[in-house]
Amino acid sequence: MTTTVVGPPGAARARSTPKGEERRPRRTWAPYLFVSPFYLLYVLFMLIPVGVSLWLSLTEWVGLGTPRWVGLRNYRLLATDISFHRALGNTAVFVLVALCLVVPLALLIAQALNTRGLRVRDLWRTAYFVPIVVSPILVALVFGLVFDRQFGLANAVLRALFGSGGVDWLGDPDLARVSIALVMLWRWTGYLTVFFLAGLQNVPRELYEAAALDGAGRLRTFTTVTLPALKPVTAFVVVTSFIGAAQIFEEPYLLTGGGPAESTLSVTMFIYRAAFQRQQFGYAAAAAVVLFVLVFGLSRLFNRLLGIGRAAS
Amino acid sequence: MSYLPAAPASPARRALLRGALGLGTAAALTACGGGSTTPRTSGDVTLGLWTHDPGYERFFAKGIPDADRTGDFRYHLRVTRAGAPDVVTKLLAQAVAGRGTPDLVGFEIGSFPRMLRGDIAERLLHDFTPDIEAVPGLKEDLLPARTAPFSRDGRVYAFDSDTPMVVYFHRRDLFEKYGLPEDVATWEEFAEAGARVHRDHGASMCVVSTVGSDPGQVVQSFQMLLYQRGGAFFDADGTLVLDSPEAEEVLRFLCEGLRSGFVVEVSDYYGAGIQTALKAGRVIGLPMAIWYKNYGLVTNVPEQKGRWRVRALPRFAGGGGVTAALGGTGFGVVEGKPNTRAATEFLFRTWLTHEGQVRRFTETGYLPTRRSVYEDSRLGAYADDFCGGQRLFGLYRSLLPDVPPFHQSPDQSILYDVLGGNLLRAYHGDLSPRQALKQTARDFRDQAGR
Repeated sequence: MTTTVVGPPGAARARSTPKGEERRPRRTWAPYLFVSPFYLLYVLFMLIPVGVSLWLSLTEWVGLGTPRWVGLRNYRLLATDISFHRALGNTAVFVLVALCLVVPLALLIAQALNTRGLRVRDLWRTAYFVPIVVSPILVALVFGLVFDRQFGLANAVLRALFGSGGVDWLGDPDLARVSIALVMLWRWTGYLTVFFLAGLQNVPRELYEAAALDGAGRLRTFTTVTLPALKPVTAFVVVTSFIGAAQIFEEPYLLTGGGPAESTLSVTMFIYRAAFQRQQFGYAAAAAVVLFVLVFGLSRLFNRLLGIGRAAS
Repeated sequence: MSYLPAAPASPARRALLRGALGLGTAAALTACGGGSTTPRTSGDVTLGLWTHDPGYERFFAKGIPDADRTGDFRYHLRVTRAGAPDVVTKLLAQAVAGRGTPDLVGFEIGSFPRMLRGDIAERLLHDFTPDIEAVPGLKEDLLPARTAPFSRDGRVYAFDSDTPMVVYFHRRDLFEKYGLPEDVATWEEFAEAGARVHRDHGASMCVVSTVGSDPGQVVQSFQMLLYQRGGAFFDADGTLVLDSPEAEEVLRFLCEGLRSGFVVEVSDYYGAGIQTALKAGRVIGLPMAIWYKNYGLVTNVPEQKGRWRVRALPRFAGGGGVTAALGGTGFGVVEGKPNTRAATEFLFRTWLTHEGQVRRFTETGYLPTRRSVYEDSRLGAYADDFCGGQRLFGLYRSLLPDVPPFHQSPDQSILYDVLGGNLLRAYHGDLSPRQALKQTARDFRDQAGR
């Protein structure tokens, strides 16, 4: 049995000195020196940029010269900006796709890949994981060809199967969202599968044996053993998927440019467009602050709902 | 006796810290320093040139001997190539950093409006107005239609590479085969013949781009005919004037053309979409800017060399001209650098000379921006192989008086975003042309000036 003594640095050493030679604990900088790189980088690349963004969101700045203080004007404008509302709505759709489609599908695939006796298991795992390794530019190029209205693979398949395939995948506002969702599904499912797979491999086999002895079927075992055992992993996957989907940029930017008619414009694309196409840095910063507040607030809510960080009872 | 190592004396530690801080500050200042800003007046000079197009790189490199001979500098070029929007983004980023800006920079016309936001152009770019006035006759010789897109408040911040007028490209062999006369006078007659050709042969005589990811391309299809009809996006003050009867007429014309098959949708003017359509003979003609021959046709269908011809656009029965303006690249000089003067002189001694403008056409296909150069007999004699040996310059010269000015606004990208979406809705029949234009004007008002 070991006992951990908690106290100020150097306290244990001070206690070990002979009686009568009590020394005042000496302050040492070593621990602070060791942890300082993190705090230094945190301040430099996190706190300062966040602070500057906050300040910038209260100004009007074209990217050169001195920003002009406008107070809360940018936030007032955002509240009535139809484009921003559209971007928020589209992002909400992408978040729902991530949470309601990508995460459950990843769990099901992980469960399938974890099945005993599965042949060429490693090949399957690699196949599912590969999309995340492929460059987003390539993904966009390939899917641009797949979804081309006149000459794309998707329409060619539809033509071969049903005799007609003039679907405007990227030109129709609703279908463009569906196309982005399909790309998200293809790209992220395998990545999340890896987390679930790791979680599944840590579920004690005795629990499954106990469930089998109790006569539980596959579905019952999944809902009463697998899912509760995967709760910490699920919580992690849900929160990271939410944050990732809320900041989605590459897929709509490369595949549809936010179009047609802003139907796939995400909030991060809105920020990029305001800053780097319209030279409205203050406005872009305000949108970024709003996104930060929303993502932070909802992540905290998810944390609370999923009990992340709470000790197991 | 203490078993702890002796702590170093405090003053020594502070001295060390001070030394480190001093060294760090010196290093940072050295790294961030913009260097001397004393203008160079002669001798060897290496100009940093940023462009998105290797054609310009070759043009300037070949122009160095002429520039060396006629001035006090001996020029060298250090070229950086980037995507057209990236050139502006990187330029602004470097300007904020205070170092690493180029001396000479090429702005694709669609990216230039970013420089018009706030006082960016005034702060960052050299104002060529006094330089132009210092050269006798130059101001009158430069085509106002091509200084307009790169000007603000009467000041010229870049020189255009081209007078990119819009013409009608067509397959002569297929026009003959389908019994289409080449000299049809109006768009309305053209559309009638086009509907027949589509019905009988599945071919189209006009194209609109519907690539959702590139509003600029979507807008281009409409823009060409709008400006030809006499409409515009912005006036000289940058005020939106899109919502006009001319715009409605042009949009209705395109929408009806799509229904009849006279007009076909392609996903991309430059890539796989148009290539397949051209190769399959589904597109046998299209209105486009003159540079499209090199960047659209020659690159996509080189095997069709000799079969293409160029003619003036048919007129609209309701009025307007026989051409429009589309595209261009302006070259500007970054202000307040040691090489500002050298770069300005380089531009004047390569880009703006008579010989330079002749060379621009023969080497890159870009039309002169100086009126007087149009009289050069070498240009008139130039025969184009891709267009069956057609002497194109005579046609271009005849169109010159009709080239409309193209005024840009800092809010142009906003217009392109909202107009692109509404054009698609109109093409697909979700909005009437009138509704699409009204909606565009509303959306633009909502977003512009934020």
